Amino acid sequence: MRDDELRACRSVAGGKLVIGDLDMGQQYLHGFAKSARYALIGSIAAILLAFSCFRIHLDFASVIPLYLLLVVFQSLTGDFRSSAVVAFVSTACLDLFFTEPLFSLRIDHPLNALALAGFILTSLVITRLVARVREEAKSAKLQKERLNRLYQLSQQLLVLDPEAPLGEDFLEPFRRLFGIRAMCIFEADSAEFHLVGDSKGELAVKTRDTYIRGTDVDDFNAHVSVRRLRTSGHLAGAIGFEGLEDPKETAGALTALTAALLERKIAFHTASAAAAAAQTEIYRSAMLDALAHEFKTPLATILAGVGGLREAGPLTAEQEGMADTVENEASRLGSLTSRLLRTARLDNEHIRPRLEVVDVTSVVAQLTKQYSTRSSDRAILLADGHEQVQALADPELIRLMLSQLIDNACKYSRPGSVVTIGVERQGEFVAIRVSNNGSSIPRKERKRIFERFYRGEDAKHSTSGSGLGLYVARKIALAHGGALDLEIDDRSERVTFCLKLPTTKDELQHALTA
Amino acid sequence: MPSPHSSVLVVDDESSLRKALRTSLTASGFDVEEARSGEEALGSVQQHQFDLVLLDVSMPGMSGIDACRRIRGISPQAGIVMVTVRDQEDDKVRALEAGADDYVTKPFKLRELTARLRAVLRRTRMSDAVEPVVLRAGNLEMDLHERILRRNGEEIHLSPKEFDLLAFMMKNAGAPLTHVKLLRTVWGVEYGNELEYLRSYVRMLRKKIESDPSNPEYILTEPWLGYRFRDPSDPDSPRESAQDD
Repeated sequence: MRDDELRACRSVAGGKLVIGDLDMGQQYLHGFAKSARYALIGSIAAILLAFSCFRIHLDFASVIPLYLLLVVFQSLTGDFRSSAVVAFVSTACLDLFFTEPLFSLRIDHPLNALALAGFILTSLVITRLVARVREEAKSAKLQKERLNRLYQLSQQLLVLDPEAPLGEDFLEPFRRLFGIRAMCIFEADSAEFHLVGDSKGELAVKTRDTYIRGTDVDDFNAHVSVRRLRTSGHLAGAIGFEGLEDPKETAGALTALTAALLERKIAFHTASAAAAAAQTEIYRSAMLDALAHEFKTPLATILAGVGGLREAGPLTAEQEGMADTVENEASRLGSLTSRLLRTARLDNEHIRPRLEVVDVTSVVAQLTKQYSTRSSDRAILLADGHEQVQALADPELIRLMLSQLIDNACKYSRPGSVVTIGVERQGEFVAIRVSNNGSSIPRKERKRIFERFYRGEDAKHSTSGSGLGLYVARKIALAHGGALDLEIDDRSERVTFCLKLPTTKDELQHALTA
Repeated sequence: MPSPHSSVLVVDDESSLRKALRTSLTASGFDVEEARSGEEALGSVQQHQFDLVLLDVSMPGMSGIDACRRIRGISPQAGIVMVTVRDQEDDKVRALEAGADDYVTKPFKLRELTARLRAVLRRTRMSDAVEPVVLRAGNLEMDLHERILRRNGEEIHLSPKEFDLLAFMMKNAGAPLTHVKLLRTVWGVEYGNELEYLRSYVRMLRKKIESDPSNPEYILTEPWLGYRFRDPSDPDSPRESAQDD
């Protein structure tokens, strides 16, 4: 890093900022020409000093400090090469004009030779030291300026709304503070480009390509530098600069700043999404409570009214039958409401089954009996040969899930058809199969049928539903360590939902019943 | 049929439901008074002695649970039946903890409600009487002194804990008993969360007293709440509890 900085400083030694996208050869030539210029001026000064001092007959000892002063002045330019040349020219002048024999590079007296050697050594050391001090001062100044601009940039970016989409507001401060011709951010998630300024070097394309290739790019000819953007350890896009000074020094810092701000944006977004979700959940729960109350109170009133009619006076057989119908239907509507509301609650909850040993066969038998007395236009039968199997499960959730499956089988089968329910042991699982004929599910829909809110194309038009039932049923099955799958026999158009639950292991059952 | 003097205070914010209940319960032989809120119910209970209070859990203003707790304080001998609407067990557990004797879940059939009311009435009246030494339910006969259980006259061996559990359930026949209440009463105050413990005892008891343990007629499960002991010979004790579906 230090070498890089020094190189940058050398490139500004002329006092004029050098555009950082000149290539290395050009930079070197530029520096060399400048050194030559300084060396020429310094050498002329050394020769003029020699003539002047010779004319007024100053001796060797008096002239040496004057030459040392000249070398020090020369090195104040901060250019070591020209200062070294001037040091050698000064030594030559001292030798020619002020040591015996005069006008010859030969030195007779060993003391003079020693003095000249001392002079050249001292001037070179001074030159080097002064040049280094100058270089470091310039480097520090440059660094300070860069930091200052970065600070200003971060200040300006931090006051922007963290949730506002990326746009000109975000990019403009970069351009203003760093004198960039054009700038582009490519966001991988949305595949969106955000470009400001007038690009002549296909900045957008290069920015996207950098993301795709996964390597940073510096194109000195087009004055374009592109860096990858990472957020939370992932490649999130790329950022491109056109006409940026010192891209090697600055592009990295600007990229890091942008990544940090994008990270902040994501954090804000996540936090507000979480807050919104929590709020929604509160409303949702309150709404479900209100719905439960609103639906069930009128039903309770109907039931109380029918009961009152019965108690008030003897009814004819026909009236008794009507009262039964009203009572049963209102109860059924109550059960249905309960189930729908419970399903809606389970949809968003983390399901924690209260496990106990459940006799699956008798639960299935009870439900089958219940549904077959209720459904007049479809036969609901328990398949032959079912065995007695126990599972470790939450009986209420199992009832809810099976009710959903039986309801679906009735809803999507033709009137007069048969819905069968079978229970079978399969290794460590008990498989409960609910099957119906006559409403095959299109192939493309089969994978999606368990998705939340998904409803098949036909179902959307022919039957009512929320698209939650199967999603929640599978969620319950998974929470039990089981599964809910779709099995379709295309030839017979038989649709079967197979629910698998882990059976009680012998040792576990033993422990529970001990 | 209830005695002619059985009085019920119906507390609900829905006027149509109160009206339907007043007509129907009156036709069923109860004396019915109405209250529109928990606050109004407290006033009525302070002025009159009611045999039963039918109390809605969710009402604007004072909640049914709070009202239940305060009515219990004013009128300890009144039987309180809560009307819950949510399917969550929390309301039921909270109602029982607040001193309710039983609950019904909306929507309920009138027969179910009157059966519950009569059962509660009978239990509250029985609690004043001297505790019997022999408990009977269906084919079961439990001698509390001798600590013997007979089914159809045949002695059934029970472990001491099984006996205590069944005795407690039979003494409270018809009443819903929460898991926590059963565990604390039978095992001790330091218990309360050991559901599996309780379940395994209930399973063993069912094996010993039920003719079909998977389809019990004595020890019924109250989903997510606890158990209810049913006396099959009691006409007010239906086998199907107020479950959904």
